[in-house]
Amino acid sequence: MKYTARMPETNVNVTPTSPLREFFVLLSGVIAIIVGIYLLLGLALNIIVPRIPMTFERKLAGPFINSMASVDRSSEKAQTAQKLLDVIQKRYAKLPYTFTVYLQESPRINAVALPGGNIVVFSGLLEKIESENELAFILAHEMGHYVNRDHLKGVGRALVFIMISAMLLGPDSSAGNLLAQSLNVTEMAFSRNQETLADEFALNALHGTYGHVGGSADFFIKLSKEANTGLWGHYFSTHPENLKRIAHLKNYSRIHGFAEKLLRNIPAIINKKRPA
Amino acid sequence: MNDLTIIITLIAIGYIAGTWAEKRHYRSIEKREREFLDLPAITIKNVDIDDAKVKNAEIVYGGAVISVDYFKRILAGLRNIFGGSVKSYESLIDRARREALLRMKTMAPDATMIINVRIETSTIGRKSHKKSVACLEAFAYGTAIYLKG
Repeated sequence: MKYTARMPETNVNVTPTSPLREFFVLLSGVIAIIVGIYLLLGLALNIIVPRIPMTFERKLAGPFINSMASVDRSSEKAQTAQKLLDVIQKRYAKLPYTFTVYLQESPRINAVALPGGNIVVFSGLLEKIESENELAFILAHEMGHYVNRDHLKGVGRALVFIMISAMLLGPDSSAGNLLAQSLNVTEMAFSRNQETLADEFALNALHGTYGHVGGSADFFIKLSKEANTGLWGHYFSTHPENLKRIAHLKNYSRIHGFAEKLLRNIPAIINKKRPA
Repeated sequence: MNDLTIIITLIAIGYIAGTWAEKRHYRSIEKREREFLDLPAITIKNVDIDDAKVKNAEIVYGGAVISVDYFKRILAGLRNIFGGSVKSYESLIDRARREALLRMKTMAPDATMIINVRIETSTIGRKSHKKSVACLEAFAYGTAIYLKG
């Protein structure tokens, strides 16, 4: 046997491949799986959430709301809003919840429905309010979220997301936070429909409480006039575009024969600005 | 945000520096392999040579340690999820083994042949917790035979 020294023509031990391409293919696979799990768990939540008893929800939410130091239920503003909400609850809504209104000092023009019937209203929103009916509509809108239990779905999805992100990227990772921000965009499609349903509930509640729906669209008309997307950006993005929303409110009222009558004055304390 | 920037930077550095180092290493490996083409390194234990003809026989060995770069590590991590051949590590092992063989040959440039060549591979620099970058060591050894005349 003769030994002939020669260089191998090809290297069989190294696969000729594009590592960058492989990297992006695998990365998109992982992202697709995460999004898939997230959407699947989101669907599961929509099935589970309506079956959670209210008492259980209240029990779960208790420690959480008590730990929020910045909210306040004893101020005059919060008490005034609470009284108004109680009237709506007594006259129309009759939801199986004990509602508590909290005030948060913040320039944000928003209100949020938290688990356990806890509604947080930001002082920035109260400063914009001009009539009792207007405030009643906003409170009734938040109550509408409890009818559909949107608040639990929102919290549930956030929990699912945090869980997946902590599992894959570790807790408190900024990569996770970045992903959370980008996924919020998909959340919006969910919540647009929820906002519309809550609006419809609020119109019915307003009609049931006052006998007319005057003032229901005032808040949104005001917002669309002050077309400052920088400051209102948040409100604009999670709530349907204001003009569409106003149109829907008017249309819904017309179909159901809801009239608009004289508005009731708001107690002066509601508009009062926080001493600087 | 900061974490993400760091990770992306590490991946980019890993890819650019890793690719550059690998190309450079392969060029050097191929050049030296050509130089040593006439020195066979074979795996058989016994060669049919008259003992009287053998001037000298000695152990020769060569080792090389190659590190994983960050890009390859992430790529392999992603590959761990889906399974399949970890292509990103193939070139590392290939480089380490060929480099080890070359260093072994360098120990005996005047030998007639190196017989009974074996290659061992091991990981070094890996801590018990998993988030550390490992290095690969390849170690080649054999018996260099020098013939008379």
